[in-house]
Amino acid sequence: MAFSLKEWVFTTDHKRIGVLYLIGALAAFAVAGIMAMLMRIELHSPGPDLTSNPNDYNVWLYFHGAAMILGFQIPALLGYLANYCVPLMIGARDVAFPRLNAFSVWLFFGGIVMALLTFVVPDPPDIMWTGYPPYSIKTAGNTAFYTFTVLLIGFSSILGGINFLTTVVYLRAPGLGWNQLNIFVWSIVAAFVIQLIFVPVLGVAVTMLSLDKYLGTHFFNPANGGDVLIYQNLFWFYSHPAVYVILLPFIGITFDIIATFARNRVFNYKAAVYGGIGGVLLLSGEVWVHHLYTAGMPDWLRLGQMVSTLLISVPVGLLMISLLGTLYRGSISFRTPNLYALAVNFTFLIGGLTGIPLAMAPLDLNLSDTYFIPGHFHYVMAVSGTFAIFGAIYYLFPKMTGRMYSEVLGWTGFILTFIGINLVFFPMMIAGLYGMPRRYFDYEQFPQVAGLQLFMSLGSVVILLGAIVILWSWIHGLLKGAKAPDNPWGSKSLEWTTQSPPPPGNWVEVPKLSPDWGPYAYGK
Amino acid sequence: MPRNTVESSLAPEVEHFALHWETSVWPLVLGVGVLLVLPLPFSFHFVYQQSFLAVLCLGVGVPLTVVAIAGWVNEGLAGHGEGLSTPAMGWFILAEALLFLGFFAAYWVIRLSAPAWPPAGSVPMPTVIPAVMTVLLVSSSFTYYAAEAAHEKGRDDGFRAWLGVSIALGAAFVGLSAYEWSDLMGQGFSIGTNAFGTSFYSITGFHASHVVVGLGVFLAILLPALGGRTSAGLIKAGGIYWHFVDIVWLFVVSQVYFL
Repeated sequence: MAFSLKEWVFTTDHKRIGVLYLIGALAAFAVAGIMAMLMRIELHSPGPDLTSNPNDYNVWLYFHGAAMILGFQIPALLGYLANYCVPLMIGARDVAFPRLNAFSVWLFFGGIVMALLTFVVPDPPDIMWTGYPPYSIKTAGNTAFYTFTVLLIGFSSILGGINFLTTVVYLRAPGLGWNQLNIFVWSIVAAFVIQLIFVPVLGVAVTMLSLDKYLGTHFFNPANGGDVLIYQNLFWFYSHPAVYVILLPFIGITFDIIATFARNRVFNYKAAVYGGIGGVLLLSGEVWVHHLYTAGMPDWLRLGQMVSTLLISVPVGLLMISLLGTLYRGSISFRTPNLYALAVNFTFLIGGLTGIPLAMAPLDLNLSDTYFIPGHFHYVMAVSGTFAIFGAIYYLFPKMTGRMYSEVLGWTGFILTFIGINLVFFPMMIAGLYGMPRRYFDYEQFPQVAGLQLFMSLGSVVILLGAIVILWSWIHGLLKGAKAPDNPWGSKSLEWTTQSPPPPGNWVEVPKLSPDWGPYAYGK
Repeated sequence: MPRNTVESSLAPEVEHFALHWETSVWPLVLGVGVLLVLPLPFSFHFVYQQSFLAVLCLGVGVPLTVVAIAGWVNEGLAGHGEGLSTPAMGWFILAEALLFLGFFAAYWVIRLSAPAWPPAGSVPMPTVIPAVMTVLLVSSSFTYYAAEAAHEKGRDDGFRAWLGVSIALGAAFVGLSAYEWSDLMGQGFSIGTNAFGTSFYSITGFHASHVVVGLGVFLAILLPALGGRTSAGLIKAGGIYWHFVDIVWLFVVSQVYFL
């Protein structure tokens, strides 16, 4: 079929919309990565290096955080992966509302445009991705762009949630029961339920921010009866569950990759779905206050939050056990997607274990706002999520493009990034234990971490090299890769039963499934 | 065993799908319209004090948005309707409810932590106008129900008439709301006066914007219906949305005006 630009720009097809999401998300990832490199260059020695204006550093930090979470991870998981995989995995011809789906992706691109305007407008936003008042209201920076970036991407996600929940409930292939769904489909259902409940509250918080700054309201102004803690509560009421919005789909796709490459059933499927994913969904909304330990609160509240935060490790533990049990006695092949999926087990474990001290109020009061925090959340969310996304891109590469990537390039890129992230984020936690506060661009008062900072900056170069190799492996595969068969991995899952790449409408005839069919029914 | 309820409606499209990629221009046009209607004019006007550019954005964006919605509805009524609007509306209302919950949570935190309520600078709230507004909005839910019933029985004239009455009631509600706002502002009570002004105008304004969206949905149902084209799914989903906005008003009127 000849390439037609019109069929891409005006497309309502879920696979093409998924690819559009991927393009936008990777663009956000690239620019966020450049911002990270700028910060690492700035931080390689104690004094001001690249810039002597702290506001420049704030803008880089703003863009890095906002773009990585709102522009890359959530859209890559709930935009690209959900769009590409869910209809194929449930045997549907498309989502329930194809045009609404196209509208979602264009709203997302609107948000990306607002975010990228950061680099061209005077007084760009400089308020991190959290946008805490009173700074965000008093700064000369453009808080409105932050608000609208969040609102556009948030609205896009709400529409996506409506679409995908309706799709999974009503458009499953004939005979496909709930207990036959891929874990990834379940994780997308749970993640979108979380989005529908919590994104609106974030929308309210950032709207109030711009109302306070530009229309003179008093939501967060204590002098006139407002309260800054309202913002912090509303913000984390969404933004902690947002962690699970990222966690669930990345664990979900990790399950699918690992089951495929271990050629094994998912261990304890029902415990993983109902206990693990369901448990995270149930508990996601009651832990946000642990982000406010240092904001001032009575001890009984800290204690309660400590218990409820630690509680979430139970369903997450169930998911980890199922992942490892899926590997147990499997026939494991170490293809590139599986390397990433296996690495997720490792980085997520480190991130999870370093989360336990942060859940404990007495330790957190000392670790809060140090480098320990970014070290922890980069392991648990940034690296684990990104590795799962990269693994998924390699996993779906033959299906999306009809071509194979080069396994040598895939391995090389993985090894470099895996070494690199450990060189950067593990020392980051150690620097936190030495007392290095986060968000500083000049740390002459903390000479004890200068060696670690230089080490991290060198480590970031390794990540950069890895990222370049990964990008090259995709371009190389796209242009010169061998032709891919329909099911190169020998997967049992439905998305591999159609052609590579799938035609409009996905199948000539939609599959009909028997009660004993399963996406992980290996060895039968 | 799950039931694939729309299987039958998709079946005729199988051949259609196999021939070419489905496209629609309206999602992209609407996306651009949205960008021009809210984020860009707001930023030009409030952040960069470029009001001319703001007006320019609105001048292009508003017609673009209206055209996009009209095109979208037209396409939907031309047989590409998706038939699952009613369950989808349930999910949308979940999100909408949380939006209002966020505003109400902030309102109650501010109110309960205030030394005195209403704070200094507030004016007495009117009682007659909100009571009348309540009657208007609640009765519009009933008239819309009558419109739905008429449509189900195939009485198109009755459907259009009751729908017209609902629109008139909703418009009267918005008109009274605007009148009340200008009256209060005339007494020196504005959004920046104090924490009550902030809560009052943001909650009532946010609710009124939902009524305006509801009226937009009604117009998108009524205008094609004048030409005899209707979609049962859209009528039902629009009704659920309208009843939801009506119920939210009961919270607004009781907690912001009378409590």
